[in-house]
Amino acid sequence: MTDGLKLGDRIFSSRLLLGTGKFSSTDAMIRAVRASGAELVTVALRRFHPGRPVDDVLAPLAAIEGLTLVPNTSGARDAGEAVRAARLGRELCGSPFVKLEIHPNPHHLLPDPIETFEAAKILVGEGFLVLPYMPADPVLARRLEEIGCAAVMPLGAAIGSGQGLTTMSMLKLIIRDASVPVIVDAGLRSPSEAALTMEIGGDAVLVNSAIAAAENPELMASAFAAAVRAGRDAWKAGLMPQSDAAAATSPLTAFLAGGEAG
Amino acid sequence: MDLVVNGESYRYNGQATIADLLRECQAEAGRTAVMVNGDVVRKSSFDSVSLSDGDRVELIVIAAGG
Repeated sequence: MTDGLKLGDRIFSSRLLLGTGKFSSTDAMIRAVRASGAELVTVALRRFHPGRPVDDVLAPLAAIEGLTLVPNTSGARDAGEAVRAARLGRELCGSPFVKLEIHPNPHHLLPDPIETFEAAKILVGEGFLVLPYMPADPVLARRLEEIGCAAVMPLGAAIGSGQGLTTMSMLKLIIRDASVPVIVDAGLRSPSEAALTMEIGGDAVLVNSAIAAAENPELMASAFAAAVRAGRDAWKAGLMPQSDAAAATSPLTAFLAGGEAG
Repeated sequence: MDLVVNGESYRYNGQATIADLLRECQAEAGRTAVMVNGDVVRKSSFDSVSLSDGDRVELIVIAAGG
């Protein structure tokens, strides 16, 4: 596979990862996953309640060929809870991946960098391919890379906020220095933001709310997929240099100054 | 035997393995992860791990999520 997204020892052709939350129905979610072409989708954990039907997300997702589930640790408030959630997720999904997310404050849901780092160390040691949701902090990104995370996932803006790439300058620093894939996760609203992420050298984006909360999630999933491909191609093609002055694209000829002829 | 299942008191008549508890709760073993007193129990051990009075059991399933 050319130009694959390499996470640990696994290579994926799609650079769009999808979250499965907040869709109006499981059917709408499945149609969006198919339209997105995503090969990695996140799922969450919840308590089983006797008498209450289990959300039937596992079976329809399993029916999509080539899909790898990434259980998240959402709800964990510290490293200990996140490690337990990751182990439970592995039992349920049979996947080596975990989206490590520890956000103790429900108001802003910003990730706790210290607990995330501590949990990542433990989970890497247990053989997980750890994808940590993290603040857009280049120093933390480097530290998470050094301890063996398979990627880093800095946020563009708060989860579900749709504020876009508010952390752009930090994302550029992270991308410049990272030697593991940089997956921008959270806050995106429009496909153009996904394209821009790829144009600046981001390796992938993880999108949930922007697709799930769209009027037509299936079409929006397709739009994000196209934007990610376009942005990736643009990055590979190399953007032209910028200049303060104009640079003509047509020959500047003198023959139009006809009055001076003769 | 008095257990705490998903944070709520739960009385089980007699001795039980995890597999027994899952059956009584009508939880599918193949789609349920189990934690006892904070430790995750591997699926392969559901038939062999016995529960004790006072155990705190969490039954966890997959849900949609980002």
